[in-house]
Amino acid sequence: MKALFVLTVFGGGLVHATLAPALRIADVAPDIPLIVVVLLALRRGPEFGCAAGFVAGLLQDVAAGGLIGVQALTKALVGFILGAAGGRLRVTQPLVQVPGLVLLTVAEGVARFTLLQLFRFPAPFGELMAFVVLPQALYNGFLGAALVFALAWTDVVKERAS
Amino acid sequence: MRGVLVLGTVVAACLLLLTVQTRGHSTPTAEALAFVTTPIQSGLARVNRTAVTIWSTYLDWKNVRAENRRLREDNQRLRVESLQVSETEVENQRLRRLLALQERLPLATVSAEIIAREWGGWVRSLTVNRGRGDKVTRLTAVISPEGLIGRVVEVRSGASIVQVLTDPASTVGAHVVRTRTSGIVEGEPRGTMRLKYMAREGGGIQVGDLVVTSGAGGSVPRGIPVGRVRAIDDRGSALFHYAVLAPVVDFARVDEVLLLMGETRQDVAAAFPTDG
Repeated sequence: MKALFVLTVFGGGLVHATLAPALRIADVAPDIPLIVVVLLALRRGPEFGCAAGFVAGLLQDVAAGGLIGVQALTKALVGFILGAAGGRLRVTQPLVQVPGLVLLTVAEGVARFTLLQLFRFPAPFGELMAFVVLPQALYNGFLGAALVFALAWTDVVKERAS
Repeated sequence: MRGVLVLGTVVAACLLLLTVQTRGHSTPTAEALAFVTTPIQSGLARVNRTAVTIWSTYLDWKNVRAENRRLREDNQRLRVESLQVSETEVENQRLRRLLALQERLPLATVSAEIIAREWGGWVRSLTVNRGRGDKVTRLTAVISPEGLIGRVVEVRSGASIVQVLTDPASTVGAHVVRTRTSGIVEGEPRGTMRLKYMAREGGGIQVGDLVVTSGAGGSVPRGIPVGRVRAIDDRGSALFHYAVLAPVVDFARVDEVLLLMGETRQDVAAAFPTDG
């Protein structure tokens, strides 16, 4: 369990550090740690999701060089909420996955902006949403859905093998 | 309950971190966290760099391989093209010479391509792609820019058979240009030809003398080069002597020819080279 946690969160960080720049489309890169947190929360529940969000966010905060704790808090909240609500969502449906991840990314962005406002973050909300949060949310939606599909397929293969 | 506890702890930790930073202690906090995360980041960066290096090496290798294959194909294609170009150039030169001869000749001519060769020894002939439809008739003289090749012995609907001068059955009236010694050029089974002339007329023939058609018989115009004297076969007191001739035309290499149509009684010596 702990090994899985470390592997997934740090693996997400590694993938974010290595693949995200390569996956950039029109200067928009996906938030891979957020997708990893969502997947973990859906599979492992709110505690795991919350802890994973905290660690993944903290790593991003430290790597980004800004205020430490902002992304840790927002991602921990996303992980907790999704972990708690996951049982009631039909997350195997792509029609739920894509808009779900889009909404989550937007919610995380709004939460981060609100938190940063307390520390006099200068960027205007509209521009931030139009050029950063929404494009990234869309990207996350499709990439996350693809990952969910890949994981489901892996599970099927595993079941067949056993 | 445990979940709420985890969430509370995490939120508290985050708020504490943020509060500490707003109180001006951002550097020590960041440093403390960086102490833990920097080695991890360095490791991740190293892994990233290695992965990128491996990937770019793989891409380079793949590109080099593809480029190598492309260059090989280009090389192959260019070699074929080069051969085609030189072949076309040679053909162009041949056709230009043939065209020049056609323009120089005061006779009606039809150009033809050689489409087959019979080189067995019993028969030495060429098949050209002109026949009855082109108004070719039997005994039509066939020439190249160098000289006489032979005469048409059989006309078909789309082709004609040309008996080459070296055919054992071939005979053409000819004379030595320098001495005006006249005789008959005959083909020989071994693929050579000879000039048969009366002994009393051939006293002055020398090796290297040019032999041209005499126009006797009317089927071949006068003055077309046939060959050069290579050796003289003096038969003592015999009535006829012979001169071995080297053909002026390389029959094995000729590809395009002219068929002389219509009136053939004119002297056409001026249309052919007579030197060397």
